[in-house]
Amino acid sequence: MVNLTIDGTQVTVPKSFTIYQAAEQIGIKIPVLCYAKKLLPFGACRVCLVEVEQMKGRLIPSCTTPVTEGMVVTTSSDEILKVRKTVLEFLLVNHVIECPVCDKGGECELQDLTYELEVVTNRFVGEKFDHPTDESNPFIERNMNRCVLCGRCVRVCDEIVSYGSYSFVERGFETKIATAFDRGLDCEFCGQCVSMCPVGALLPRPFKFKARPWQLKHVDSVCGYCGNGCTVTFGVKDNQVQTIRFNDKNGVNDGNLCIRGRFGYSYVNSDQRLTRPLVRKNGELVEADWEEALTAVAEGMNRGKGTGIISGARLSNEEFLLLKEVAAAAGTTNLDHSGGECYKGLTEGVQQVLGLSASTGTFPQVEDADVILSIRSDFYETHPVFGMVVNQAVKRAGAKLLVVSDKKGKFTKLPNAETLLGKPGTEVNILNAICAVLLESGKAVTEGVAGLDELKQSLTDYAPARVAEQTGVSVEAIEAAAEQLAAAEKGAILLGYGLSYTANSRELGIAAANLALLSGLADQDEAGLYVCGEKANSQGAIDLGILPGESGLGVQAMLDAAARGSLGALYIVGEDPLTSFPDGAKVEAALKGAEFVVVQDLFLSPTAQAADVVLPAASFAEKDGTFTNAERRIQRLRAGIKSPGEALTDFAIFASLLEKLGAAASAATPGETFAGLGRLNDAYAGIDLNAIGPQGVVWGGEHLQPKVRNLVPVSGREPLTTRYQLITGSALYHSGTTTTHAKGPLEAVPEPYVELSREDAAELQLAEGDQLRIKGNGAEIRLKAKIGARLPKGVLFAPNHFPGTGLNRLYKGEAAVVVELNK
Amino acid sequence: MPRMKSAAELEEFRQQILAQRDADQPCFTLCSGSACHATGCGPVAAAVEQELEKQGLTGKVRFRRTGCHGFCEQGPVAVIYPEGICYLKVKPEDVAEIITETIVNKKVVDRLLYVDPTTGEKATLENEIPFYKHQQRLILGLNLEIDPQSLEDYLAAGGYQALVKALFEMTPEQVVGEVKEAGLRGRGGAGFPSGVKWDFARNAPGEQKYVVVNCDEGDPGAYMDRSLMEGNPYAVLEGLMIGAYAIGASEGYVYIRQEYPLAVENLEVAIARAEEHGLLGQDILGSGFDFTVKVHRGAGAFICGEETSLLKSLEGMPGEPNARPPFPAIKGLWNKPTNINNVETWSNIPLIINRGAEFFNAIGTEGSKGTKIFSLVGKVNNTGLVEVPMGATLRDIIFKIGGGIPGDKAFKAVQTGGPSGGCLPADLLDTQVDFDELTRAGAMMGSGGMIVMDEDTCLVDLARYFLGFLSDESCGKCTPCREGIRQMLKILTRITNGQGKEGDIERLQDLAETTRGASLCALGKTAPNPVLSTLKHFRDEYEAHIHDQRCPSLSCKQLIAFHIDPEKCRACGACLRKCPAEAIDGGKKRIHVIDQDKCTRCGSCLDACPAAFGAVGKLSGEPVPAPVPEEQRAIG
Repeated sequence: MVNLTIDGTQVTVPKSFTIYQAAEQIGIKIPVLCYAKKLLPFGACRVCLVEVEQMKGRLIPSCTTPVTEGMVVTTSSDEILKVRKTVLEFLLVNHVIECPVCDKGGECELQDLTYELEVVTNRFVGEKFDHPTDESNPFIERNMNRCVLCGRCVRVCDEIVSYGSYSFVERGFETKIATAFDRGLDCEFCGQCVSMCPVGALLPRPFKFKARPWQLKHVDSVCGYCGNGCTVTFGVKDNQVQTIRFNDKNGVNDGNLCIRGRFGYSYVNSDQRLTRPLVRKNGELVEADWEEALTAVAEGMNRGKGTGIISGARLSNEEFLLLKEVAAAAGTTNLDHSGGECYKGLTEGVQQVLGLSASTGTFPQVEDADVILSIRSDFYETHPVFGMVVNQAVKRAGAKLLVVSDKKGKFTKLPNAETLLGKPGTEVNILNAICAVLLESGKAVTEGVAGLDELKQSLTDYAPARVAEQTGVSVEAIEAAAEQLAAAEKGAILLGYGLSYTANSRELGIAAANLALLSGLADQDEAGLYVCGEKANSQGAIDLGILPGESGLGVQAMLDAAARGSLGALYIVGEDPLTSFPDGAKVEAALKGAEFVVVQDLFLSPTAQAADVVLPAASFAEKDGTFTNAERRIQRLRAGIKSPGEALTDFAIFASLLEKLGAAASAATPGETFAGLGRLNDAYAGIDLNAIGPQGVVWGGEHLQPKVRNLVPVSGREPLTTRYQLITGSALYHSGTTTTHAKGPLEAVPEPYVELSREDAAELQLAEGDQLRIKGNGAEIRLKAKIGARLPKGVLFAPNHFPGTGLNRLYKGEAAVVVELNK
Repeated sequence: MPRMKSAAELEEFRQQILAQRDADQPCFTLCSGSACHATGCGPVAAAVEQELEKQGLTGKVRFRRTGCHGFCEQGPVAVIYPEGICYLKVKPEDVAEIITETIVNKKVVDRLLYVDPTTGEKATLENEIPFYKHQQRLILGLNLEIDPQSLEDYLAAGGYQALVKALFEMTPEQVVGEVKEAGLRGRGGAGFPSGVKWDFARNAPGEQKYVVVNCDEGDPGAYMDRSLMEGNPYAVLEGLMIGAYAIGASEGYVYIRQEYPLAVENLEVAIARAEEHGLLGQDILGSGFDFTVKVHRGAGAFICGEETSLLKSLEGMPGEPNARPPFPAIKGLWNKPTNINNVETWSNIPLIINRGAEFFNAIGTEGSKGTKIFSLVGKVNNTGLVEVPMGATLRDIIFKIGGGIPGDKAFKAVQTGGPSGGCLPADLLDTQVDFDELTRAGAMMGSGGMIVMDEDTCLVDLARYFLGFLSDESCGKCTPCREGIRQMLKILTRITNGQGKEGDIERLQDLAETTRGASLCALGKTAPNPVLSTLKHFRDEYEAHIHDQRCPSLSCKQLIAFHIDPEKCRACGACLRKCPAEAIDGGKKRIHVIDQDKCTRCGSCLDACPAAFGAVGKLSGEPVPAPVPEEQRAIG
């Protein structure tokens, strides 16, 4: 710690602090423009200059200068004010004054500083900038005439997003911030730059001329898309979410969001939303009132052959509790939440090895990890904002990043990244081989670990040389990865799961957990193993047991039973299995085979169209409750707007349905229900809803120690050897099927596609955008070709978000599908 | 030649070289630095080779092309050894005579000797020439003895002895101690004590450390570093290696301007030769010390001479400065501890290690030790590179060494320290050149640029010129530099255009102080110096421009007028023929008259008017006399 005096007040701060941070700690606000808390010090604007007694004769930038013992700082004097004013005059010489029509007006830092420092006249004159505005994309408007060259956009895009869209070009007065070759912005469109811009140079286009900042009501909630659980703050006006506001005070995401979080909110305002219950009459779905619809549902569920309940993973914890009560009231244990049963990596895999069904650490703990192993390169795409934490660990803290994947991606492009590029479906083989090297080299942690001999025995099939031959990953890369993991002081293994990755879930969970044990990562005090669910409340679904009960059917068994005609009713909540589940034909058969189908959703999805009753549900923006994210953080959802028409929250629907089923909800409101979660999971017991603050509450504490240490032998698989194989997965711009109703993501990636390598495209004489016929598993689909450098020869990738592609007629849950291609 | 594996092998090699050399063997030494290239040393060299062959002297007479000797004004310079006879402005057609007369017949070719412009006396030997006589060329002097591409020459001149001494007789701490004790201060401009800087990098935590040579010499007219790198790259490398050993670095980078092709070439040859001989690479001379060097060519931004910008550029990023702290010694190249010094600083290291700190710190002043090389340019008779002990006065440099101001003009000011240095007037000519004295006088040492101005130079215009340069070269990162310099430039441009306003001086003062106090790096912090120093010493010139629309130096085009004195005009037509703007009206036996509306103030008429008539004159701040009426223009 360092002691210093600022404006006469003594302050003691860590020695890593800058003068600015020290002043902030005692409530002294030094004006800044280029400084941003989450970015590295830059020191360009020179607004934050202060005087330091020990550094007489010059002014000291408080945002870049570290504190030293005994420093005596003055933050305001005539001299300082004069310089600050002059700097503002300089900035205002060429800044166009368009405040009346600038969306930033009212929350513009330049405006505020000008006001605060009373810069009423300008002694200087000069040309105004005259750059054309970049409106080449639907998300971000770039008006460089308003730019003050603080570089925050450049830095956030480099330091945090690791995309590097922007750079300073030219020099001196000609300096401006530009994209590559000064073309229009074409990037991930996460909008981090927009959130960092202190002025109106970067603006969210969907929000243009929608509202003045002060007209917006701010509601803090949690993003409804992925398991990252980012805080989103709704900017609400006229019962619409007008925009997502920048908020770096709450939550785990430090104000960072991805395109889905920042621009994907629009589906809640969609005019395609279901507003009234629908009941099938004479083969047609017609509008009905709630009484009629719910009565039909209760009857349908009581027909005798039994009910199967399939839920999505975007319901709140409280809704899950009520859903379990609905299942109980309906007398069924056929309850499940993911068509791919991909959660088995956690519920069976990690559970068997470590006795846990959750990640061991929290996201921020990865910020200063020294070794990170990401299983699958698309971790960045399933959990983009956690991906940004990895970016920071790699770029700022110099972490070594290992990627075990069947394709390249953003992670593989990071500095220090080593990609173990294997054939599709062979991740387990590679992880096994790393385990084998750890054991062979004696670097493995084996104390107190059970099952060592059995594992050793099983790993004889996974000698690095053999796995290298199988997978195409070199022996050296496997050995180096083992060595790095063994040497890690603070390591993290990341594994994402979701509907797009349904093969080998259990096996991957085991292999990753074995590796976490043997490398010692599972027994660190922080970080460790992260197994992250795809959806906003995947972890909550597991925690609260939205899983088959005793002698109950899992989702695949339910579909089989329904298809056979041995299941009376299917109740599908918040999911579009026809689009999103593997083996669409089976889903189709199940929907046909079931006597009665209820779908509860926001939109009339393909599945809903096949239902007997459709119940209009509320979006995440319309409800109160809690989500548990992939690091076990319980965070509060708050309703920002009212649901359209007669749509109700899942909570309200379940409560009414319970009455129809002759039962009653255990609590009347989500708030009251929360206290009951402890009945389902001890970890939730004793947590007071009102104590869940801006940072949420991480159940089990910041770090979970393994409850058991059982190594479990696990088999990999032989890769396919066909000329072409198709894999599926998540694309950065989308999350599940919901984003296909959201304007933002849909504008970035409007239609389905299949991605393939340049080599393959050349061989097929295929150009970007050409239609490609893909045949496999007895079906054929057509997709537009997207040609890139991400995929190895012979491997094709199609994202699974889009309805109507028929992708799941080919994909039946395998790691890779043998396909034939034709133009 | 295989890699040498020990100090003994190196010494043996040196002795072999020396044994093959005869001190009495005639040697034709031709300066082949960039300046002499410009004045034609290439054809001279070809002539020498041809002539030697013709006379059957190849192999009997050594021919050595060296780096810069410093006396660029008089290039190409040739020195004939063993006598040391110095010939200036040598042309290819002089070569046969030099070889026949001086080398074969041992006679001096009088007409190629230096003639003192004041006394008319001739100087035969180099050190009899006043330009050289008053210098102390500890660093630059070696340039004369070696062919920059010849490792043998460098070894013959005692090269790598310092490295051997450091590696085998000194601990890294002792090396740092010696440099500290010597009192060497960085020659790049800031004058920070080099030993202290080394110590920071040495003590900084981290396995991987780097040493860097800053050869991004960007000051207009300054070429000390170029000449050292061109003329003696081995000395720079030797200094760098000693520094690397002291700091604990195993990799070095030379950041060198793309505009210095000869320096790049000589350096690359030197690196290759050193590598071949085991003087770079693994386990150098069996000492266990590993060191490799890479050359990086800069793309020509002035800001990249600033150390943090240079490091950014070296990393492949745009050259823009970073806030310090952290200093490069702690977090430099790729965030590793890095010691960066300029070429001249590194060149001083072998000298300090060879001769010891005491030898070095006996030279110079209390606060500045050793010698300093200046590039003496502008309105001075002997332009060139000058190496003097710290503490020499400006007067000695400009008048004794530089030979004063050409053309009977009066000395007006000297700008030291490059574009962001300061202008010192005649009454400060006795200022000693040392880091602190120059700063105290309102100028700075900088990297050693020295631009002399005579009475015809307008100091306001000079400030405008430098601010224009700096405005172009400001990287644009921080607000005060980006905008402050531009605003000063706007005001200065206005003043020199005769549109100065009341309050401009105060505005300039204010802007200068803000820019100096608030800018991020040294570029912005020193950019106001030309304004501040000219305001301090030549305020009356500013006032004349602003209040009287008069340029006292008769230099600012918008404020002057040319006028033909009707009493003196002899209607010779010389000015009329030269005028590119057809602004002169005249004819046979008719007084010539300048049409002021057409005149572009280029001054051709003034140059053209025969001195005997002296009819054309410059005016400023006073009305141009009305033209003589047409009917009265006939000359009788």
